[in-house]
Amino acid sequence: MIAVVCVRDGALPAGAQETVDEAAGEVVLVGSGCLEASTGLAGVASRVRYYEAGDYAPGAWAVALAPALAEDDFLLLPASPDGRDLAPRLAAELDRPLLAGALSVTPPRVLLARQGGLVTDEVTVLGPVVATLLPGTRGLGTRHTIDLSPAQPLEVHRTPAVRDAESLAVLPPDPATMDLSEARRIVAGGAGLHGPAEFAVLARVAAALGASVGGTRVVADADWLPFERQIGTTGVAVDPDLYLAFGISGAVQHVSGLGDPDAVVSVNTDPSCPMMAMADLALVTDAGPLLIELARRLETSDTAGQAEERRSA
Amino acid sequence: MPDVAVKPTTGDTTGGSRDGTPPAAFDAIVVGAGPAGAAAALTLARAGKSVALLERGIFPGAKNMYGGVVYGRVLDHLVPNWWQDVPYQRWVSRRATMLMTPTQSLTIDYRSDRWIEAPYNGMTAYRADFDAWLAAKAEEAGATLVCSTTATSLLRGADGRIRGVSTDRPDGDLTARVVIACDGVNSFLAKSAGLYQAFDPSNFTVAVKEVLRLPREVIDERCRLTGDEGLDIEIVGCTAGIPGGGFFYTNRDSVAVGIVVSVIGLAAARVRPEKLLADLKKHPSIAPLVRDGELLEYSAHTIPEGGYDVMPELVGDRLLIAGDAAAMCLAAGIWLEGVNFAIGSGAAAGEAAAEALDQGDASVAALAGYRRRIEANFVLADHRKFRRVPHLIMSERVQRQYPPFVCDIVEKMFTVDNPTPKLGLRRWANDARRTHGVRLRDLLRDGAVGLRSFG
Amino acid sequence: MSGADTATTPQSRPSVGVALKFVPLRVEVNPLTGMVSADDRLAGASPADEAALEYGLRFAEAWGWDLLVASAGDHRCEPMLRAAMAAGANAAIRVVLPTDTAAPVVAAALAEALGDCLVLLCGDYSLDRGTGSVPAYLAAQLGAAQALGLVSVAAVGEGTVEGERRLDGGRRERLRIPAPAVLSVEAGVRLRRAPLPAVLRARSAPLQVLPTPVPYAIDPAAGTRRPYRPRPKALPSPAATMSARDRVLMLTGALSERRTPAAVRTNDPVQAADIVLTFLRERGYIS
Ligand SMILES: Cc1cc2nc3c(=O)[nH]c(=O)nc-3n(C[C@H](O)[C@H](O)[C@H](O)COP(=O)(O)OP(=O)(O)OC[C@H]3O[C@@H](n4cnc5c(N)ncnc54)[C@H](O)[C@@H]3O)c2cc1C
Ligand SMILES: Cc1cc2nc3c(=O)[nH]c(=O)nc-3n(C[C@H](O)[C@H](O)[C@H](O)COP(=O)(O)OP(=O)(O)OC[C@H]3O[C@@H](n4cnc5c(N)ncnc54)[C@H](O)[C@@H]3O)c2cc1C
Ligand SMILES: Nc1ncnc2c1ncn2[C@@H]1O[C@H](COP(=O)(O)O)[C@@H](O)[C@H]1O
Repeated sequence: MIAVVCVRDGALPAGAQETVDEAAGEVVLVGSGCLEASTGLAGVASRVRYYEAGDYAPGAWAVALAPALAEDDFLLLPASPDGRDLAPRLAAELDRPLLAGALSVTPPRVLLARQGGLVTDEVTVLGPVVATLLPGTRGLGTRHTIDLSPAQPLEVHRTPAVRDAESLAVLPPDPATMDLSEARRIVAGGAGLHGPAEFAVLARVAAALGASVGGTRVVADADWLPFERQIGTTGVAVDPDLYLAFGISGAVQHVSGLGDPDAVVSVNTDPSCPMMAMADLALVTDAGPLLIELARRLETSDTAGQAEERRSA
Repeated sequence: MPDVAVKPTTGDTTGGSRDGTPPAAFDAIVVGAGPAGAAAALTLARAGKSVALLERGIFPGAKNMYGGVVYGRVLDHLVPNWWQDVPYQRWVSRRATMLMTPTQSLTIDYRSDRWIEAPYNGMTAYRADFDAWLAAKAEEAGATLVCSTTATSLLRGADGRIRGVSTDRPDGDLTARVVIACDGVNSFLAKSAGLYQAFDPSNFTVAVKEVLRLPREVIDERCRLTGDEGLDIEIVGCTAGIPGGGFFYTNRDSVAVGIVVSVIGLAAARVRPEKLLADLKKHPSIAPLVRDGELLEYSAHTIPEGGYDVMPELVGDRLLIAGDAAAMCLAAGIWLEGVNFAIGSGAAAGEAAAEALDQGDASVAALAGYRRRIEANFVLADHRKFRRVPHLIMSERVQRQYPPFVCDIVEKMFTVDNPTPKLGLRRWANDARRTHGVRLRDLLRDGAVGLRSFG
Repeated sequence: MSGADTATTPQSRPSVGVALKFVPLRVEVNPLTGMVSADDRLAGASPADEAALEYGLRFAEAWGWDLLVASAGDHRCEPMLRAAMAAGANAAIRVVLPTDTAAPVVAAALAEALGDCLVLLCGDYSLDRGTGSVPAYLAAQLGAAQALGLVSVAAVGEGTVEGERRLDGGRRERLRIPAPAVLSVEAGVRLRRAPLPAVLRARSAPLQVLPTPVPYAIDPAAGTRRPYRPRPKALPSPAATMSARDRVLMLTGALSERRTPAAVRTNDPVQAADIVLTFLRERGYIS
């Protein structure tokens, strides 16, 4: 099995390490800045080859890479945006089936998430395939202590032009719109918030903390939150450092998408719900008024403990 | 008007006018594909009329809620052998009425084999299934069903007469020679046509209901049912003294439990209806039936309960109203029937409209056949007979006094407290009457109303 | 664009194509068996496919092109195609295909129906299989440029669009995509409401039906179905040089910094805010 990982300007995509780990260390990097990117695979990769292909062009890359990869029966790409683009083109070029959105790849057994993650399909692989692995569901195991041998360029014969879209610019992340799975800080709300108005205050608190907004399926279903911001088994898997939960009960479907935050704050009126049990700060109070107060204090940077003064005034 | 691909209208000038207004696109427009609307469209289409059936939901019944029992007799001549393909859940074999206090309950429970064989008495059914089924019958007969389309107002010609409806779609005006409003409780169309005298909230109740998933075998065992049999319980005294009642119905693998309470009483008592429902679910006589049920659906709705005395004008110029839009739901405590009245009135409206269209006239006089039809059948006959019942059922006495009064008498009857000798029914009744402040005069009067209505 | 125009001048104008898949919009999953049950009445084009149709209509209007829609599937997708015609599509094509067909074959079927379109739009994922691969296969088969998972897209000149797609790390990429192109778009923009006359007309509008492309292959990714369970996370194995005690502690997380303090209770939002802000300050999240 070989991991195939797209690289942009020396940066690895989400799920790159997990994918390489799943492929037992063998990887082909393709894109711009491959050598720089390869250092990010230390401890995971055992053999790195690369194709310094320049700007992102999945159509052309697939044609170029296919002959060099045809020998290996199992190609695994991270299901990151670039990986999801390239994988079907590789599969088409190599004329082999695509198994997209895998949760685990242990040939001949591949487990795929389907129906928006509600169910899994287990497939037995009989011939050559291309697969993509969902980031954030596997975790990292192996740590090689052996030094990585230097990356080797991959033998690629340039091919005639294939049509691709032209990249005009790459825009930096905006925490408000950024993919939740990458957010370092997340402020999330659940059914304990009473309506979109309270949710809007939560968004202000998040903005003031430089955090992204997330939530439970209940609030996504209620349309207070776009569905791509739902955290959990049927939403996105996240892995923030800081997680603030307002009015979230901590159902397993939600918490299993939570990663392993360094700090968890849970605000809930029910002290015994699971979210409170896993919190570093478990605060039993009404979330709505607290959010209003937090928004006011954070937006005016009046964060110091001035409660006493105001109360006596 | 674009080249609408439908049957041409069958009549002459009605709808179009002398000044060259183009002829109407349809003979009739029916607004609302609930039971009333589907029945109206069905009879119109069968009579050979072109009819558009407008529904705001994405399919008929998508969002419609009710308790859960449809009484099918009204379908007998509309859809012969309807039971062979109707999407039912269970045939109601047991009907129970429960008088309840927070700590007591008295149930009268009737079961009949005759109700679980054709032609059947009542069935539990999901509205999403039932309404879609009936509307499909109308479509098969030739009606043009248009979903995801809300009628927003009546369309009037230069002469001020109704010539169709406007909808929320772009280019949404649709013309017809007659409009039948079956848009349900609080009918916007009937109100905007001025057919309602005044809006009186005391004529409305609000209902909240939960559907809880339970395995079929569990329901069968808890409710003592086999096969397709179903149970239906109507409950009085479960609403903390607020005028109203409760219900419990069985579906195939879910049960429905709900309460219905007066809008005014609710406002005065300042309780949330969800709280009443939660309490009902905790009542020792109900809790074992709903235990461990997984919540599938929660819904709320208003019901017109005033009955005969608050019905609006049923006929306007080129306009008929039927079903809940015309307050035709019969809510008399142990009866909560609306679907059958909706179908009965809708079918009659369709027939009457077809008759008027045949005469090329849809004026109030020409449409009078509608009222004649429902006067002659059960629709208005039942409503007239039960006209006092809504007030009786919702009265302070029935709601607050009678349930504990009756329960206490029964409790004394069945409590064995020897060596004290049994006092006898009359003493028990008198004691209970005093305890609960029930006046003999009221008891006799209410009994007489009840006898006259139900007898 | 009226039906009459296109009938007299077929093929004379370039066209935009939109691929719509008929999918259950709400499913129930049996938590024990993973059996998925769906209500066909709550089925149709997904919000992403509807967004594709809306963009397609906008491009066709901007460029004066025709708009074709196609679906590969059984007769159940016809009401969805008619709804697309009501919204403004000039023609609709159904390719007869079973639902469990492999993505390259679906793409081949769609290429059969929409291959002449210079700009092709799809949703980013179908809700049921949800691999997002059909558009990529379409691009490969048609030799078109692909731009997948666009958050937004707009016409910049006849046959050329610019759009933004998500990258990881919250970044976005701006792309220029000249025709011939296959685009897939996220759910977002809402499909316009179809005018009432068009809805009535579409009920009886002609619908082209193409036969199943032969041979077709069953989706290789249809396997044994189970309800979703999160995968147990792999943990880094402790270095061999650590003591046995330290290795156990590292694997179990025991004695690590996290300890769950008793819940703090307050009814005063001001005091509650103090507690939260103090916590965040102590942990270095705010200054
Ligand atoms: C197959 C499947 C997949 C699922 N996938 C997901 C998923 O991906 N993501 C997901 O989130 N869910 C998912 N769910 C749903 C999940 O099981 C829970 O129902 C959901 O996470 C609960 O959301 P919640 O915490 O917002 O709501 P609830 O569980 O209703 O919790 C609300 C909380 O707010 C508290 N509260 C109430 N009032 C206040 C107040 N005034 N102030 C503070 N707190 C208050 C309550 O005490 C309660 O703890 C899935 C379910 C299934 C069956
Ligand atoms: C809690 C509860 C329990 C009940 N239990 C029972 C029972 O067990 N048995 C029984 O027989 N009856 C019961 N009923 C009463 C029954 O539901 C109604 O009487 C019956 O549904 C009336 O039918 P209808 O067609 O007049 O109106 P509805 O069923 O309300 O249908 C109206 C239709 O019109 C559509 N509509 C409304 N406005 C517009 C518009 N502007 N444009 C387009 N479409 C529109 C709606 O979407 C709907 O489909 C119950 C009612 C409630 C609330
Ligand atoms: N059977 C189909 N018919 C029409 N379009 C399809 C079909 N399958 C997939 N598509 C299109 O391809 C997109 C992505 O689907 P998928 O690759 O299955 O995730 C969908 O949003 C549709 O636009």
